[in-house]
Amino acid sequence: MVQYSYFPGCNLKTNAKGFEKSALAVSKQLDAELVEMPNWNCCGTVHTLVSDNLMKRIAPTRILSRSSKHVEMLENSPKEVVTLCSMCNSTLKVVNKDIKNDESKLEPINFQLEFDEEEYKKDMEVKHFLEILRDSVGYEKIEKNVKKPLKGLKVFCYYGCMLLHPDEAKIDDEEMPAVLEDLSESLGAEIIFSPLFKYCCGSYHIVDQEDIVNTQVQKIIQSAKQSGANAVVVACPLCAYNLDAQQKLMEKQGQDKELLPIFYFTQLMAIAMGEPININHFEEHHINPKKLLKKLKLI
Amino acid sequence: MSYEYIKIGSEEKAFIAKVEEISGQNVYSCYQCGKCSAGCAFSYKMDKTVNQFIHLIQLGQKERTLDANTHWICASCFTCTVRCPREIDVAALMEAVREISLRENPEKVRIADLPKESLEKLPNIALVSNFRKKTG
Repeated sequence: MVQYSYFPGCNLKTNAKGFEKSALAVSKQLDAELVEMPNWNCCGTVHTLVSDNLMKRIAPTRILSRSSKHVEMLENSPKEVVTLCSMCNSTLKVVNKDIKNDESKLEPINFQLEFDEEEYKKDMEVKHFLEILRDSVGYEKIEKNVKKPLKGLKVFCYYGCMLLHPDEAKIDDEEMPAVLEDLSESLGAEIIFSPLFKYCCGSYHIVDQEDIVNTQVQKIIQSAKQSGANAVVVACPLCAYNLDAQQKLMEKQGQDKELLPIFYFTQLMAIAMGEPININHFEEHHINPKKLLKKLKLI
Repeated sequence: MSYEYIKIGSEEKAFIAKVEEISGQNVYSCYQCGKCSAGCAFSYKMDKTVNQFIHLIQLGQKERTLDANTHWICASCFTCTVRCPREIDVAALMEAVREISLRENPEKVRIADLPKESLEKLPNIALVSNFRKKTG
């Protein structure tokens, strides 16, 4: 049994509850338990690309420092903080590398952190849960835990940007990733390839330029359908929201009738590994994935 | 095809220096291959493509750079950054221009003008990242 210090990030507590609950459940089954770190704060969601502003690097550093203390209280825990959200993943990783390489940045940040009685000692690594599943748990073990193979599910693995970009944050090869595919395959699903696997969904433009997101989603979904997918698997709560809500909007406007349900990779794991269906919080999705699951006799 | 005489004087040089200072990149590294624009998921929305935009910065054209919508369409997906053969962090250049604009006019998005329903229904990460990128 290994325990990991787990940083949830804000969205896992609000509109991606199913993502968190399914991840916690499967992590226990796989003896790689995610334990929520105490007293965490928002990481800032996007890391700053500006060289002259340290303020935006304080929040991630505070998380790293608190997680380092949390690790001491856990069982067999490596010096790693684990994220589920891919935006948290990239923000924490980029800032971690940035301050590890540049003492002149860390020093003033640590001075600020004195007010919180924290000091970052450059001793943490940031990992995405997918990396833990691939490198520490292994697909073989996942396969052994599968009780209900996802037969008939044709998944398009959509990475989005932040799992593969920038270099400091990538969890796999940025042009030919395989981690989501390998995982889905070990759950018994069929893999569908579409060239738009990392074509940006429009991200935060959803707030003030919805038309951009709408066009992007249209292209991504159309390409997935043409390749023969009947579901999309993602790791980012913002990709999930954009793909889900925009498809529903297109249906309302009469542009599209056949919708692809969006799954977090942990939800697929939870279904295959026989966890109760309600932990997935499918009622929060805009497109109800239960329809497809019932059709394929998976629930 | 029309030609235009551009003088790179002190104002132009100051703008180039500012972009380089904020982004930590050398804008003259760019040799205009266009790989960034070709791979950009949003090129079709931009009035200046990414390499044209960088060219404007290289020539110190502050006003034209800020007038383009390129840096506001960019969603920082880093596709250009990971593909640039000259290893320029193109996304950081975009951020530098956004910053220069926001340090003069801090509200590209006016939070008070957003409808209450969208504030309630949108995921927190969408709101936080949008405000981080579009307000000063």
